[in-house]
Amino acid sequence: MRCWLLSACFGLTLFSGSGMAEMETPESRFELSGFGTLGVAQTDTNKVRFIRDQTQPEGIGNKLDARTDSLIGLQAYFRATDSLEFVTQAISRYGPHDDFRPEISWAFAKYAINSNNLVLRGGRLGMELYMLADSRHVGYSYLTVRPPVDFFGLLAFHYIDGADLVGTMPIGEGVLKIKGFAGQANELAPIGNDFLSLRGNPMYGMYADYQEGHWQWRATYAQMTFKHDLPPPIATLQAGLYATNIPSAAATANSMALTDTTSRFYSLGAVYDKGPLLVQAMLSQVEHESHIYENTQAGYLITGYRVGELTPFAAYSWSKSKSRHLSSGLPDIPPFAPLNTGLQGVQGRVHTDQHTYTLGSRWDFRRNAALKAQVDFIRGKPESVFLYPGASPGQFDGKMNVYSLALDFVF
Amino acid sequence: MTKAAVTCLLIVLLALQTETAYAELVVVTGPKSGVEHLTQQEVIFLYMGRWRMLPSGLPAMPIDLAIDSPERADFYRRLVNKEPSEIKAYWSRLVFSGGSRPPYATENREELIRLIHNNPGAIGYLDRSQVDSRLRIVFEFPATP
Repeated sequence: MRCWLLSACFGLTLFSGSGMAEMETPESRFELSGFGTLGVAQTDTNKVRFIRDQTQPEGIGNKLDARTDSLIGLQAYFRATDSLEFVTQAISRYGPHDDFRPEISWAFAKYAINSNNLVLRGGRLGMELYMLADSRHVGYSYLTVRPPVDFFGLLAFHYIDGADLVGTMPIGEGVLKIKGFAGQANELAPIGNDFLSLRGNPMYGMYADYQEGHWQWRATYAQMTFKHDLPPPIATLQAGLYATNIPSAAATANSMALTDTTSRFYSLGAVYDKGPLLVQAMLSQVEHESHIYENTQAGYLITGYRVGELTPFAAYSWSKSKSRHLSSGLPDIPPFAPLNTGLQGVQGRVHTDQHTYTLGSRWDFRRNAALKAQVDFIRGKPESVFLYPGASPGQFDGKMNVYSLALDFVF
Repeated sequence: MTKAAVTCLLIVLLALQTETAYAELVVVTGPKSGVEHLTQQEVIFLYMGRWRMLPSGLPAMPIDLAIDSPERADFYRRLVNKEPSEIKAYWSRLVFSGGSRPPYATENREELIRLIHNNPGAIGYLDRSQVDSRLRIVFEFPATP
């Protein structure tokens, strides 16, 4: 594959040589750039651990910790011809393997089929499951220290290996953009000390985006079909339920399976951006065929207003999932009681019902760098534990404050 | 020493402020662009990478002045009321997510004029006093009250 891409690139470079003679394109053909965040954060409790999203196996407590938000990304850009570009990006951040091992986050060829109306990209692509989801790591590009955790924290993946096609056209006073993408999720999601493999999970999606004046609107649909099941303790529980040979228990075990089930993601986003004022809102609905996860609604609203070098901001976000009330149909007596307890425990860990108030400020104190300070007041039900790795219902009272400081830069 | 440096810096900043306040920026193309006039929305779309085609159907090549130039900061303040850091944040998102690329930044006005001369789709901005017969004014900012 790589070989093929390289030779294709080389061929097109030669081919394009003559056609470009009359048009002078001064832009550099090759560019190295990067971005990063040095961030520290702490909460006011050790009862549950705070994470940025589901790709982080361990969270932080009431001691300053740099793992949640610190990262560094490097990008190489190569323009082979006026219509063919190559981009590779690697990011080192605290991820699924409980370390900062670097990972290729983007690696694609971008081909303009028709100037800028129709663009095809193939390779590894950031997943634009929701508006802005493909730039979650580029802290310098947004106001807050991190994307709202109630909203983006539910996700356990960042890219697909596949292709996307974007069509752009002016309509009315604005510009309409339609994008379709297809590929495979190929990441690992940490579950305790184990992983849920997303390798080979087919993903499809599309969005329509309209920008006019100070407004931008977007509607997105995406879906992913699982090709692997969850590791223990869920796998163990399923095996226990099957072993009873009782149809109701086996049916429950079946309904908890992930393999060959599809999860669907619907979202709406709107941005109002006028000079110093920025307002951004998003809503999402996630529906899982498998009963191991709960259908979830989430949303957020961020508003910021620039005053000189400072941009104070305020945000509100929430996520709420709907309990499934799974039952094994087994009586609560030995030897079945532990299975029922296990089933309850598993269900308890996937529930979320919380909202967060955020206050903070971004300070553009020098070129290409910004300092941000932020406090999140998370107010949830004691059962809202899905966003905290390994936590069980009632482990805390649902309230948590998170204090964060971050230095974002680009180079 | 530090004090002197700060004073110097302040004087320079003040001088720049004065210059930007009096500059009258206009958006220009070459005579072969096929464009007589652009709306502010069209200029925004071209410079913010949303739609890079001139109304005449030519692929557009928007050109920025150097990153430090006062005209550049002034241009974006007047165009979208945004500071250079906000423009940089905007492009960081697109550049690091495989989106459109920022306009090419010229070293100086001479290079800008040369590029416009050699590329019918090129578009740039300059102070009105620097516009000569090789350039065509396609957009003027509305007079500030």
